[in-house]
Amino acid sequence: MIKGEVAAVKFGIMSPDLIRKMSVAEIQNPDTYDEDGAPIPTGVMDPRLGTLEPGQRCKTCGNTYLSCPGHFGHIELPVPVIHIGFVKIIHELLRATCRACGRILLKDSRIEHYRRVLDELRAGTKFFRHIYFKIKAEAFATNSCPHCGEKQYKFELEKPSTFIEQTPQGPVRLSASAVRQRLERIPNEDLVLLDIDPESARPEWMVLTVLPVPPVYVRPSITLETGYRSEDDLTHKLVDILRMTQRLRESINAGAPSPVIAELSDLLQYHVTTYINNETVGIAPAQHRSGRVLKTLAQRLKGKEGRFRLNLSGKRVDFSARTVISPDPNIEIDEVGVPLEIAMQLTVQEAVTPWNIEKLRRMVLNGPDSYPGAKYVVRPDKKMVRLRFVQDLTELANSLEPGWIVERHLMDGDIVLFNRQPSLHRVSIMAHRVKVLPYKTFRLNLAVCTPYNADFDGDEMNLHVPQSEESKAEARLLLQVQNNVISPRYGAPIIGAIRDFLTSLYLLTKDGTLLKKDDLSYLLASIKYDGELPEPEVKSPEPLWSGKQVFSMVLPKGLNHVVSANFNPDDKVVIRDGKLIRGYADKATVGIEKPNSLLHKIAKEYGSEVTAKFLNSTIKLANTYINLRGFTTGITDLIIPESVYEEIREVFSEMWKKYERLRDDYVKGRIVARPGETVEQAFESEILEILSSTRDEVGSKIRAHITPSNQVLIMAKTGARGSTLNIDQMIAVVGQQAVRRERPYRGFINRVLPFFSRGDLSPTAKGFVYSSFIKGLNPIEFFFHMMGGRDGLVDTAVRTQQSGYMQRRLINALESLYVEFDKSVRTSDDKSIVQFLYGEDGVDPSKSYHGRPFSLRSVIESVLPSGKHTSHQEAPPEFVGAIARKYEGLMPPRYLTMLMTEVQESKVPAELVERVFEEGYRRYLNSLVEVADPVGVIAAQSLGEPGTQLTLRTFHFAGVREQSILLGLPRLIEIIDARRVPSTPTMTVTLKEPYSKDLKLARQVARRLQYTTLGEFVGEVRIDLRSGHLLFKLDLELVREHGVSVTEITRIFKNYQAKFEEGMLMVKVPEDVDLHSTEFTNKILNTKIKGIRRVKRAMVKKEGEEYVIVTEGSNLKDLLDVKEVDFSRVKTNDIHEVASVLGIEAARRVIVEEIASVLKEQGLDVDIRHILLLADMMTVRGEVRQIGRHGIVRLKESVLARAAFEVSVQTLIEAAARGEQDYLRGNVERILIGREIPVGTGRVTLLMTYPRLSNNAIGGGNQVGH
Amino acid sequence: MAKRKPSKRSEEVREKEAEVRASILSHYMVPKHEVLSPEEAQELLRRYKVVPQQLPYILLSDPVVRELGAKVGDIIRITRDSPTAGKSVYYRVVVKGAEG
Repeated sequence: MIKGEVAAVKFGIMSPDLIRKMSVAEIQNPDTYDEDGAPIPTGVMDPRLGTLEPGQRCKTCGNTYLSCPGHFGHIELPVPVIHIGFVKIIHELLRATCRACGRILLKDSRIEHYRRVLDELRAGTKFFRHIYFKIKAEAFATNSCPHCGEKQYKFELEKPSTFIEQTPQGPVRLSASAVRQRLERIPNEDLVLLDIDPESARPEWMVLTVLPVPPVYVRPSITLETGYRSEDDLTHKLVDILRMTQRLRESINAGAPSPVIAELSDLLQYHVTTYINNETVGIAPAQHRSGRVLKTLAQRLKGKEGRFRLNLSGKRVDFSARTVISPDPNIEIDEVGVPLEIAMQLTVQEAVTPWNIEKLRRMVLNGPDSYPGAKYVVRPDKKMVRLRFVQDLTELANSLEPGWIVERHLMDGDIVLFNRQPSLHRVSIMAHRVKVLPYKTFRLNLAVCTPYNADFDGDEMNLHVPQSEESKAEARLLLQVQNNVISPRYGAPIIGAIRDFLTSLYLLTKDGTLLKKDDLSYLLASIKYDGELPEPEVKSPEPLWSGKQVFSMVLPKGLNHVVSANFNPDDKVVIRDGKLIRGYADKATVGIEKPNSLLHKIAKEYGSEVTAKFLNSTIKLANTYINLRGFTTGITDLIIPESVYEEIREVFSEMWKKYERLRDDYVKGRIVARPGETVEQAFESEILEILSSTRDEVGSKIRAHITPSNQVLIMAKTGARGSTLNIDQMIAVVGQQAVRRERPYRGFINRVLPFFSRGDLSPTAKGFVYSSFIKGLNPIEFFFHMMGGRDGLVDTAVRTQQSGYMQRRLINALESLYVEFDKSVRTSDDKSIVQFLYGEDGVDPSKSYHGRPFSLRSVIESVLPSGKHTSHQEAPPEFVGAIARKYEGLMPPRYLTMLMTEVQESKVPAELVERVFEEGYRRYLNSLVEVADPVGVIAAQSLGEPGTQLTLRTFHFAGVREQSILLGLPRLIEIIDARRVPSTPTMTVTLKEPYSKDLKLARQVARRLQYTTLGEFVGEVRIDLRSGHLLFKLDLELVREHGVSVTEITRIFKNYQAKFEEGMLMVKVPEDVDLHSTEFTNKILNTKIKGIRRVKRAMVKKEGEEYVIVTEGSNLKDLLDVKEVDFSRVKTNDIHEVASVLGIEAARRVIVEEIASVLKEQGLDVDIRHILLLADMMTVRGEVRQIGRHGIVRLKESVLARAAFEVSVQTLIEAAARGEQDYLRGNVERILIGREIPVGTGRVTLLMTYPRLSNNAIGGGNQVGH
Repeated sequence: MAKRKPSKRSEEVREKEAEVRASILSHYMVPKHEVLSPEEAQELLRRYKVVPQQLPYILLSDPVVRELGAKVGDIIRITRDSPTAGKSVYYRVVVKGAEG
């Protein structure tokens, strides 16, 4: 067998000659098998195409079905048939070339011109395809051939594949053979101008005369249990085609009239079309006898279940296992409990060495069925021996020697990859050490639930066993749990103590927790503490140790740290010299998602080993303590004195009064709606305000009665579970239920439920739940509660879908980005630069302190140990500046400034300043990104993963709810889609002085910005037939309100000799216009009176010290002409508009700011570097490009990468016509063909050669790698 | 007076345009753009071992490019305000773009 690597894949169209040459058999017979079940020669299952039967050998190559690659056959078509995939291209070719001579419909001079342009473009590495559109458009527009003078006619394409030429004699239908003849005439030189590579795709090949028949392995027949054979869909279709060819040939030979032939040809066309693509528009899909739609060639490739995404981008793998997970606080965080049964199925290769030979011999002796055993042995000649089939294991065990490899059972300490889908971010797959355990579930430590997003309500997880030394080393060094404690999304721990552990640690470390010696011993035994016992806190009557002392024993020596507690942010947690001296541990200390926590500091400064040890002991300690002490919650935690409920009822009746007042206002029309708001909306928002303030009030009433020792409160405040809101709901009041963020309103006519009277707007009728969970809901309240609950479920379901697709697109767009040796970010296919320095400062968020390379306090403390404050002179600013200057160019300016300020603020003595900068620089270098890091994927994951947490359907009301702005997931999708117009465009217009200081002046400007047409002032329109005037009755008050004068209006219409008389604007209708023409009336009504186009509303808002105008609708360009505006600070959220008015750099900045504000508003923490990378990627081409198939993905040079993303079939067809080549340089292509990807560890290879190694090898001929 | 009127008009227009351009450049979101000298450009390409096509693009039709009067093939240095580094430098090569 020839072995080699695929260097490139070339796409093209097969010529009829090639198809015949490739073919091993002409297929003529529509039958498949004879009575004996043997394939009929020249039938669709011809044995020369390969064999499916295990015993048989292929008639062509002589191999069995296992090693025969399969061979193509062919069908000779009696008439040409158009290949359905190329219809669009054929149509363009026919329109762009001469019907007589076949030349392109361009003058020689134009041809020359375009050739030059094409050459020029091709000289650059990146190619603009748009030029072809221009060439084609120009050719389409030519009416007579510049070469032979022939008049050209319009071509119409009648879907799916009929071409009709509009000749002066009437429409003429072109047969496939006529089409083919015309295509044949097009010369090669002209095709180059039409985006076709004639070498690999002559246009006449787009019309089939011979059809290749794929080997049987592509379309195997299945034998059912009943003995019936069931054929593949493709085989069915081929049979149909063969039947048609037979009938057609018979008719032709019999000399049938041409209409009959044409009809039969059409039928053949139908079958070939559906054989290629059974979802062709305008054609009835071919069906199976049962009515099932056939899956033909195009359907096999397409979509999520197609070849690309199901079998090529994702593959099934060996050495993997899946089962239900369950928690185990007793195993370490980087361990995974593997059921014995699974450990006996999975194997790892272990090379025999003098040091392990005895162990391996014993395992071989144990065989596959007793643990710890082995399943295979690989002899030095690479022969695999399956132990199950070995009679004498003893003999085999004895013949083991160095150079052999044993595939032994999985054992404790082996490294494996553990994964839970959906794998939304890097930490969805981490490496764990195996711990073989009884029972049938995977066990995992609770600290790693968060990264996997796992719970134990039936979740299953997957496990993969790396086989090569290389992959094992990689897993151990990069993927292990303790190396991934800090999340790359936000630069804070994502692995840490959760739930009851937090409760437990709080209870243990809070003031007043004292332990007797036996309890202390019990706790310390659980963490295997073997150091000295500290002095007891209380010595008599019996020695007692404080919980703080116990916790201090798991802390690294010499650690100093201060944080604010989660329980009460005013409480400081102080750790000095590795001792907890004040405060208590809770979520802010050892929990997750809290930057600058104790855990964060340890992970960042002490390395992964110490982190693992700290987390393991902390969790073990917490677990043991809470078991020892006991912790529970119950109804008693929710009981408050009955008198409080009395007070609550009073609050409710107060609320009711407020409601009634509001309702009366509403009914009597006394509610004033703010601009852009209906009265109903105003009423609703007022009511919601009343309701939420009521709940707050009620909440505060009960909170006084909850003791600090309340168990629910402890859980809420330590960050273990629940919030104070949940407590309020349980004890006091559940509150307003919402459906689609509004009070429920649907159900019956003008009422939600039939128990209310129609039009009842009261809290009771609209989903306010007065009861608490402890008191119980009445049936109506319960119903409302369920409505809200259902809405939440629906919302979640929709959201996961949307954010999933967003993530897929993000990944596809950014997948190829990596960090080059010079720290620039580049694409893996053509190495073009996207960022010159990753994240603009080179810092890796997962090595950072919440985005910063160091914590200032930590830097200072390392130089200037607190407490030992030598009262030296503090450094003068000039001195600090001089030292800072030395680091210019080495460190980003912002960090230098930070250090300078900090040095001055903490009064660092002059002689230590240098050390501070040294230390800062050292830490900066330590936080830089690793070379080859796949930063694109990490950015995509960091933006996509929180997508599920974003709210759907959010309109946020800026300021005093006068204006709604689209936010949340829909807005995020809108930004990365790069939609032309945002759904809620808005500007913040800053003003020059004095307009920015004076509310009145600002209002005036705002009024003038607001786009207003005459129609807005007009009450009625009259026609004066006698004088030929249109009379518009103006609402003068409104005119005044808008700050315009009647004279101004009249002046605008001066071309129509406008006059203003008796409240009427009189406009003379021109002679040639019909007096009754609504068109003219509308034209007048739509005439602009003032304002800026697209600015629907403009409102004044106070922002800091100045007044600004917030607009609905955006138009930067016209704003340039408004002289009161301070244009330099104007903001808009319309990205494309910024790109065209202010340039691509400003557009990039808008993208960054918009994404950041969406995430911030939703309270999601995403490092800015991910957003920067996304924005840079969207703008690398100088224009704003979408994240999706029309944007960034289309720029990929690889055909396969584009086909694997979306619209696979069309992409491949176009690639064939162009004769494109795929050099398989990007990640996607590499995965498709099963090679290593060129980012991350796949970028680097070991230069040491194998023979070199084995010369010096120890123990003789150890196998390294493969 | 009658003679000077048209020239005054165009002067006004020109003034207006200059004003508009100035306000684009002074906008807070538009960072400093400057054209690299051929030597600087060579140095940049050498430092990153790239050809101009591998750099990020900026269109000839970009308002800021028009303002600078840069030509196709020029490399522009952009000094951005950076939320992470304080200041950061980016480069773009001027290209004709899709429509040219």
